Amino acid sequence: MSVKREILFRFGLVYVLFILLGLAILGKILHIQLVEGNRLRSLAKTITYKDITIEPNRGDICAIDGRLLATSVPYFEIRMDLRAAGLTDELFNANIDSLAISLSDFFGDKSRYTYKSQLTNARKFEKNNRYYMVAPRQVNYLELKEISKFPIFRLSANSGGFIPVQVNRRIKPHASLASRTIGMVNEDGAAVGVEGAYDHVLRGKAGLSLRQRTSGNAWVEVSSSMQVEPEDGMDVITTLDITLQDVAEKALRKQLAKHDAEHGSVVLMEVKTGEVKAIANLRRNSDGTFTEAFNYAIGEGAEPGSTFKLALLIALLEDGYVSITDTIDTRKGQMQYFDKLITDSKEGGYGKISVKEAFEYSSNVAMTEMVTKYYKDKEKHYIDRLYSMNLNQPLNISIKGEAAPYIKYPGDKLWSGISLQMMSIGYEVKLTPLQILTFYNAIANNGKMVKPRFVHSIRRHGQTEQTFRTEVINPSICSKRTLRDVREVLEGVVENGTAKNLRNSNYKIAGKTGTAQIARGVSGYRGDSGVSHQASFVGYFPAEDPKFSCIVVVNSPSRNVYYGNVVAGPIFKEIADKVYSTSPQWFPEVSRSPQLAELPESKNGFKPELLTVFKSLKIPSDDMATDVEWVSTRRGEGVIDIVEKEVIDNLTPDVVGMCLKDAIFLLENVGLKVVVNGRGTVRRQSIQPGTRVRRGENVVLEMSMG
Amino acid sequence: MGNFFSRYFKGDRVIWLIVVLLSLFSLLAVYSSTGSLAYRFQGGNTAYYFIRQLSFLIAGLAIVFLTHLVHYRVYSPLSPIFLYFAIPLLIVTLFFGTSINQAARWLELPGLGVTIQTSDFAKLALIIYVARVLSLRQNDMNDFKKTFLPLVIPIVVVCVLILPANFSTAFMLAIICWIMLFIGRTSMKQLFGFSFIAIVIVGIFVFIALNTNTLNRVQTWKNRIENFAKSEGGENYQSQQSKIAIATGGLIGKGPGNSTQRNFLPHPYSDFIYAIIVEEYGIIGGFVVLFLYLILLYRAGLIVKKAKRTFPAFLAVGLTLSIVMQAMVNMAVAVNLIPVTGQTLPLVSMGGTSLLFSGVSFGILLSISRSQNKEELFDGEEEPKGDN
Repeated sequence: MSVKREILFRFGLVYVLFILLGLAILGKILHIQLVEGNRLRSLAKTITYKDITIEPNRGDICAIDGRLLATSVPYFEIRMDLRAAGLTDELFNANIDSLAISLSDFFGDKSRYTYKSQLTNARKFEKNNRYYMVAPRQVNYLELKEISKFPIFRLSANSGGFIPVQVNRRIKPHASLASRTIGMVNEDGAAVGVEGAYDHVLRGKAGLSLRQRTSGNAWVEVSSSMQVEPEDGMDVITTLDITLQDVAEKALRKQLAKHDAEHGSVVLMEVKTGEVKAIANLRRNSDGTFTEAFNYAIGEGAEPGSTFKLALLIALLEDGYVSITDTIDTRKGQMQYFDKLITDSKEGGYGKISVKEAFEYSSNVAMTEMVTKYYKDKEKHYIDRLYSMNLNQPLNISIKGEAAPYIKYPGDKLWSGISLQMMSIGYEVKLTPLQILTFYNAIANNGKMVKPRFVHSIRRHGQTEQTFRTEVINPSICSKRTLRDVREVLEGVVENGTAKNLRNSNYKIAGKTGTAQIARGVSGYRGDSGVSHQASFVGYFPAEDPKFSCIVVVNSPSRNVYYGNVVAGPIFKEIADKVYSTSPQWFPEVSRSPQLAELPESKNGFKPELLTVFKSLKIPSDDMATDVEWVSTRRGEGVIDIVEKEVIDNLTPDVVGMCLKDAIFLLENVGLKVVVNGRGTVRRQSIQPGTRVRRGENVVLEMSMG
Repeated sequence: MGNFFSRYFKGDRVIWLIVVLLSLFSLLAVYSSTGSLAYRFQGGNTAYYFIRQLSFLIAGLAIVFLTHLVHYRVYSPLSPIFLYFAIPLLIVTLFFGTSINQAARWLELPGLGVTIQTSDFAKLALIIYVARVLSLRQNDMNDFKKTFLPLVIPIVVVCVLILPANFSTAFMLAIICWIMLFIGRTSMKQLFGFSFIAIVIVGIFVFIALNTNTLNRVQTWKNRIENFAKSEGGENYQSQQSKIAIATGGLIGKGPGNSTQRNFLPHPYSDFIYAIIVEEYGIIGGFVVLFLYLILLYRAGLIVKKAKRTFPAFLAVGLTLSIVMQAMVNMAVAVNLIPVTGQTLPLVSMGGTSLLFSGVSFGILLSISRSQNKEELFDGEEEPKGDN
């Protein structure tokens, strides 16, 4: 038993030790409470803490190629604590003159004397002199760097009292381009365009930092473990193409100005995907300039006029009531329905024409005749046809503010005896330009109606997080046969009909003109200043294999010229021409085997990329530098010679003749800092090749184009 | 009810009671102290951490229950195998583990998405192993080759592997083993030898760390110790906040959920949970928690007293020590008696898998006391063998 007794004894010793430890802990608690208690409790009362929100960086909005459309840039308010502890009277008086001179020179808004007297007075009398606004405007980062070197300001915060306050400003580097579609959000809750629709993605998550007040009214972070890092917002890559957007907006602006129009909009869409490549909305200001103030393409529902005749044509063909070769009598270009006289634009009418021609000439009489003949007493059937093509449903695009389409149903309160006829030619219905475009795009897309979209993907720090897919609204709005006929007729509009002015020999456009009178509330179509019109053209190109669809709507052009083909057509043409000229894959091949008259000059640089260029341009090259990455090139006998370029560790590489991308890579890799002047190819480098590298030294590159 | 309890929950009822009471303290204190954490990381969903802790506690209790049904004898022959698993795991963790605060302590179990602190497992394996060797070698404790080396080599290997990432755990484990050796009747000469080895290893380690500057952890230790040494007990941010919590607690505390210091104390739900307990439940609450751990150690003493064999006695001592020692260290840190170490309060601090390992320890402890009860009931079924 002695073994067990020994074990128990030893355990007892250990147990006593633990009891002592426990007593020590209890004793320490008592010590803290009784001896240190008062000091600690008063400390608890005097120390003030607060949580400071750390704003995350808002994500960027980019064009499809990554160019910035909207980004946040830090600006700074220049404030000053005129009563900073270290800013004594002597210090202030000794330096205020030079500070006033610096400020006056920098901002140029007030004289040095004004600055001086304002600062001196503020120091004495102003209520907010601990947070006094010095600068007349916010400054950018570079300006801030300069200002922080001003007299007084360059002292430490405690004695100079300099307080730069960061204010993030949202800027659109491409100014007005698609600005309404890019949109904005503000503190009042307004959320417009992509900014508004994707605010939850762009915004990011705010961080928190627990700060403790210290002497001198400064708040310092207490412990890193109490800090939540802010999470930056993600970038939204839109489907917009800056080049096309620019063309669309310029063309629209030019035409609006030319015809003295009130407002207009243009939307260019990719047929297969529904990606909106350009969207421009312009409104005339009182001074005659144009700005983007409202997204008409999305938010303005209006009577579309003749472009809506397409719906009737499809219905008639689908129901088998007519074929496009059938003949129809347009009488003398006039038809009376109750109190409404329907007329054709051609005086005396078109006489007996085919259905195809009726559409090509946009004969109102033919359309109303047909709708009356085939759908009288079967109104519901006709409207159901329209509904089955999803024309009555909003597109539910991500951007807010879409005007819902309006197509009434027989039996509705507003259904009248002439509703059927009016609807057949695009009145008594309301659709936005984007909704009309979506309808025409479905025809171009072999009957498949896709939802227009503005956002391509979402990225975080350059990595794609989410890519959006094309949504199909209706896989097939009509039969293949109808589709073929309709596309033939739409082509005919440009080839033979109302839009002949858009015809060109390079590629074929298909589409439809529209010239609608605009209803002005109670006064009807005839306002005080006479009739105003909405001219439009909607279509797609190239007609045989449609790639893009586009709609142009111009509202209230001057009274003497208001036809869709004349007012809206040229804008369409200009955009289509631009798209065509930048899409080499549409051109017929000029020659089977391209022979270059002369070999081009080629850059030096990274071999794999150079080889890719030579290969795709079919330039013969002779690779004499195997197993190396960096090469220089020179023109040889009918072939580009590729020779090795030596890159040795710690020696400055030779980057002359390279593009900037390669030059920066090589130079910064060995530890140099690159300063660039100009653009193009590197012409000169300030540090001679082969010089031993001193890390961190600046190397200046002179580029080929200053 | 009592019948039901005694049918399914065998073993020392006092230990069961301690487990339940500590779990209740845990729920209250964790719920109260995670408010700021929930506000910061879970968008104000204060129930998130409560439910998480409740789930782990329930899982922990389930593990206690299941483990206590297994006879403790099975662990003895398994312990060398456990150790063979634990050592490579520690090596893997040291080089490939997940770092938290630059200390590679965690290993993600492939496919499960669960991280475990491998030292938890190694600790358990080592304690069982030491208990086994001690009980097997009771008759020749002075044999250097057959007793001393088989004991000391695994202890040194495990501790050295834990050391770089988690100094305090390695240090504590060494002390636990030392006490086990002491209680296991190791001679003073050998104990001095073991102590000497430990001091030399720590010395070499600190020397290497300071001279190669490869270990960022060294800087953390230096700061902690310097902070503590400075101004008699370190009025650095954490300890000051912890002391304020204790000072404002008074005799009966501010009441459940009324802590204010939880907003300012880093890790109020783990490292400093004892300060929050004193703040909310006063000296009385603090004493109760401390007392619970001391009772636990006392119950382990009773197990030793009842034991007819040495293996269960040493095992009970080792497991209980590892729990109580860690608790003492945590409380000593909270009251600013020793520098900050990052040890949690077993079963009380918010934790994930470490709670489950505590459950295993309690389970084995209860398994030992269960079989002792049985031996009392069926006296003579298992004849005491010649090993004591």
